[in-house]
Amino acid sequence: MTVRVLVADDARFMRQLIRDIIEPEGFEVVGEAADGRAAVEEFSRLQPDIVTMDIVMPKRSGIDAVKEILALDPTAKVAMVSALGQEALVTEALAAGAVDYIVKPFKPDSVISTLRKIAEKAP
Amino acid sequence: MDLAKYRNLFLEEATEHLAEIGQALLTLEKDPRDGAALDLVFRMMHSMKGMGASLGYDAVSELAHRLEDRLGAWRKGGGIDDGQGVAMLFRGLESLERMVAAVRDTGEPPPPDEVLLALLGDPESPKKALRLS
Repeated sequence: MTVRVLVADDARFMRQLIRDIIEPEGFEVVGEAADGRAAVEEFSRLQPDIVTMDIVMPKRSGIDAVKEILALDPTAKVAMVSALGQEALVTEALAAGAVDYIVKPFKPDSVISTLRKIAEKAP
Repeated sequence: MDLAKYRNLFLEEATEHLAEIGQALLTLEKDPRDGAALDLVFRMMHSMKGMGASLGYDAVSELAHRLEDRLGAWRKGGGIDDGQGVAMLFRGLESLERMVAAVRDTGEPPPPDEVLLALLGDPESPKKALRLS
């Protein structure tokens, strides 16, 4: 079964990069969001299997968006997208209910294996 | 990775980011405690860091990282409290503009701005990020 993914990142570059890494591996990017508010709205509308969520975004941070998504659907699977220097924020996001994280700059194999692991997790 | 495709994406998005940073710095020049302008510059630097690192443009990612760190501290403190802070950000913007122009002109990774890096000091150790797992 195809795993449906929502990609939330304010940088078009990063959204395209994630799409190009995961789509050839059988994931389907069903939507993109450029800010935290849009991420919550698109999650509600599309009901994806996994959300990749950048931490630093306008309008609503990735962490606030995770909290809102999990309030809407406690079984939602959100993977944080982190960068150097964001360890504390990743810890906060995991405590808020994010299931895992991927690190920028992306290592394609690591992104794929993390998303596969998340997809296999029971809701 | 299709490098040419991502280089073009970088040039397009980085140019937009630098224009937005320039506008926000004009606001900060008038009011160094303007939270919205500080947030915007912080986010744009974060994004420049990510794009630069993804393409191996270490000069871009390193400089953006150090500026992001400095901006993060100012955000926590409620504004730019250093008299030279805005000037330093303008200097950083100028340097990033030169780097983006160099990528556009040569297609190669740009050289670092050692002088500005030295002024900004060491960022957090990259090894710290590896300890996440």
